[in-house]
Amino acid sequence: MHSEEQFISVIKENEGLIYKVVKLYTSAKEDEQDLYQEIVYQLWKSFNSFRNESKISTWMYRIALNTSIANLNKAKKRGIQLPISETLLNRPDFTDGSKQEKVDALYAEIRKLDPIEKGIILLHLEGNNYDEIASVTGFTSTNVGTRLGRIKQKIISQIKK
Amino acid sequence: MQSVWQEMSAEIEKQKKITDSIIIKMTKSNYRSRLNNIRIPEMAGAFVCIAAVFFIVLNFQQLNNWYLAACGITCSLILILLPVLSLRSIHNLQAINITDNNYKQSLSDYARGKMQFVFVRKLSFYLGAILLLVTLPVMGKLIGGKDLFVTTHIWMYYVIGYPFFYAFSKWVFKKYTKSTNDAEELLKELEGL
Repeated sequence: MHSEEQFISVIKENEGLIYKVVKLYTSAKEDEQDLYQEIVYQLWKSFNSFRNESKISTWMYRIALNTSIANLNKAKKRGIQLPISETLLNRPDFTDGSKQEKVDALYAEIRKLDPIEKGIILLHLEGNNYDEIASVTGFTSTNVGTRLGRIKQKIISQIKK
Repeated sequence: MQSVWQEMSAEIEKQKKITDSIIIKMTKSNYRSRLNNIRIPEMAGAFVCIAAVFFIVLNFQQLNNWYLAACGITCSLILILLPVLSLRSIHNLQAINITDNNYKQSLSDYARGKMQFVFVRKLSFYLGAILLLVTLPVMGKLIGGKDLFVTTHIWMYYVIGYPFFYAFSKWVFKKYTKSTNDAEELLKELEGL
């Protein structure tokens, strides 16, 4: 049995992970708040099912990505939301404007990918190896490797356009 | 690409903002209330439909010729079918098992749900149009006491209205075609892996 304190510390340690998933699967500010909140809620609901057999981040990616997919169907059926501070979902404040542009451009290119590619590239950029990506996504490690090669090519050609 | 991502991640790590109280609020609020927000109008709609069915059934003897009786039966059947379809589609919205699914299963459930949703929307659109046609004479008789087929030129309105309805439905369904194609494409890709 996990406690509320444990959950709070897990969320605080991994808030960046949730933020990055949210940014990738939404385009409007109000959708960001909605999805962020829903991911935290779903993580809380599933927290007792986490058995420490995998890394906490692997479990969190799984729940966050599944919630994002489930949310695609509900995006237009928004109900009451908990007001989240604007600053919580603000983009990182780069002092160097060119870095900010690069980040925005990278997000824009990844958002153009289909949902399969989007999930795989996110997990790859987050530093997961093929086996870890395979365990979250359900694809085989070989498939993940093949796909990643194609996705990188696709992003590069999108950027060149 | 990796270096841009890492720089951004490092920047995010520096800017931790979430507080204990916000996390606690998020765990307690409002996913259920959101679902209720979807459910309440649907349930209200279902209640109205069932009430209308009762009204028709209780006064069915007033529909005293074959075409009004046929309209009454069709109307009742559609009024039962529409809320069932609608409530089922809400149930399907929750069909993704967030805790146990992997990403591939969730995408597959999403694509199937999307295709089913589009099918239900199309079906509801046609059923709604038929309902409109059959409700007029039924309610004309039950509320106004008049057989609209005899006292008005209702058939003429149907004949004139049909081409407009056909064109309108083509226009409405155009936007659904892309959704269905995307979902089919996604399923094909997932099954091919």
